[in-house]
Amino acid sequence: MNTTIDGIDPPLTWEGQGSERIPFGVYTREDVYQRELERFFYKGHWCYVGLEVEIPNAGDFKRTVVGERSVIMVRDASGEIHVVENVCAHRGMRFCRERHGNRREFVCPYHQWSYQLSGKLQGVPLRRGVKQAGKVQGGMPADFDPAEHGLTRLKVARRGGVVFASFDANVESFEDYVGPTILEYFDRLFNGRKLKILGYNRQRIPGNWKLMQENIKDPYHAGLLHTWFVTFGLWRADNKSKLRMDDHRRHAAMISTRGDGGKSVQVTDVSSFKESMKLQDARILDIAQEPWWGEPTVVMTTLFPSVVLQQQVNSVSTRHIQPNGHGSFDFVWTHFAFEDDTPEMLERRLRQANLFGPAGFVSADDGEVIEFSQQGFESKPFHRAVAELGGRDTEDTDHMVTESLIRGMYSYWRKVMET
Amino acid sequence: MTEIDWVDVIAVDEVPEDDVVCVSAGGREIALYQVEGQVFATSNLFTHGTARLCDGFLDGHAIECPLHQGRFDIRTGQALAEPAVDPLPTFATKVDAGRVLVKLG
Repeated sequence: MNTTIDGIDPPLTWEGQGSERIPFGVYTREDVYQRELERFFYKGHWCYVGLEVEIPNAGDFKRTVVGERSVIMVRDASGEIHVVENVCAHRGMRFCRERHGNRREFVCPYHQWSYQLSGKLQGVPLRRGVKQAGKVQGGMPADFDPAEHGLTRLKVARRGGVVFASFDANVESFEDYVGPTILEYFDRLFNGRKLKILGYNRQRIPGNWKLMQENIKDPYHAGLLHTWFVTFGLWRADNKSKLRMDDHRRHAAMISTRGDGGKSVQVTDVSSFKESMKLQDARILDIAQEPWWGEPTVVMTTLFPSVVLQQQVNSVSTRHIQPNGHGSFDFVWTHFAFEDDTPEMLERRLRQANLFGPAGFVSADDGEVIEFSQQGFESKPFHRAVAELGGRDTEDTDHMVTESLIRGMYSYWRKVMET
Repeated sequence: MTEIDWVDVIAVDEVPEDDVVCVSAGGREIALYQVEGQVFATSNLFTHGTARLCDGFLDGHAIECPLHQGRFDIRTGQALAEPAVDPLPTFATKVDAGRVLVKLG
């Protein structure tokens, strides 16, 4: 089925009923990507910017991005958190270079325009001109109004210590945006306890940004691709599990409970099961059940378009998707703990974090398959992928042998992109 | 206090009404203002940056930094508008026989 989208020419061809055959063009085309930035990252959606605990004190800031736009999350003297765009209102310079810091104000180095932490324009050098030989020369026009020349301020939402922002002043509330089903899993992880930052991983993955959303919406691959998971029993296709989506099918939660670790045939027959592999240091498998988990041992939540929330046994993190072109994105992991963790639990979370990040025992595989998928797409952009495991519908399931969440995401993607 | 603290810096005629002028005295730069026949003295260097207040603009008793629009009250040195936060040093003045004297503490 061809659907014409204004400015998307030639149109993408979707075979089949809806979203089970994904045209490679969604990953390879610059015009599609530019529209995604406009419609997903800059309008109608909330994007992840960080954790409140990253900026605990007045004046603390963190530079990050919404889509491709550089933004600064900053705490002012009253404790309020602002998110302002890192583009000087004067000549458009990206003035902030540091990743983190503490400031009383922001000053663009080019002409020293200065801003309050809320983004309000505070000072314009030589605004009233220069006194020369008893005369005042130059300066801004008398009707120049600083109130009209502040930094672009984003709308901010805070929940459970997590900060989201939107360029869209009319965006729905964060709670409506996430929806009640997924909000339950959000609140399970961010239930009000104070967080503690353990550290960051940053990697640039040469693949389309949506592939990372798909990767976490695809529990099918985890028991096949990831030798580590399969061999050491952390993730298996026969784990008790369920998949849940919001009403729009843009967000999802992959909820799983680790089984008894028995060696069932379906699992031990996959080639990634390496019975002979042994860990030199088995402490990474020292998993402790935590009361807040409830039954599930793993919940991976995808909030479209910008972030993955991870609880993989004792390892908890946010993973921020930062696109930079149709074929590349930066992936920033923030590993955290809880302030009331015992020293043993803190150690445990740190050890288990070795599974994740660019060189993680598990996640290194994902970065590579995304890169190689993009290579396949670029070599024959007229082709399409097949996502028909579990059928062609987009329903919630009580198993993980399905690509339903990927189909769900593309049904939403089509709705937004094709209007 | 001894008389030696009072330094003769300028003729009172040379301090413009409703404006600012800069002098050097005792190794420091002093900004002098005249408002309603009264002379005031503050440090010439803006506490926030490296701007000189004698390049700034006087509005009533408020001196505005030419670069960043921070404002101080010239009578007390109190910061009135951000980015000015720390107070500006001020100095006592008196006029004697047409000369302005500033007390450098």
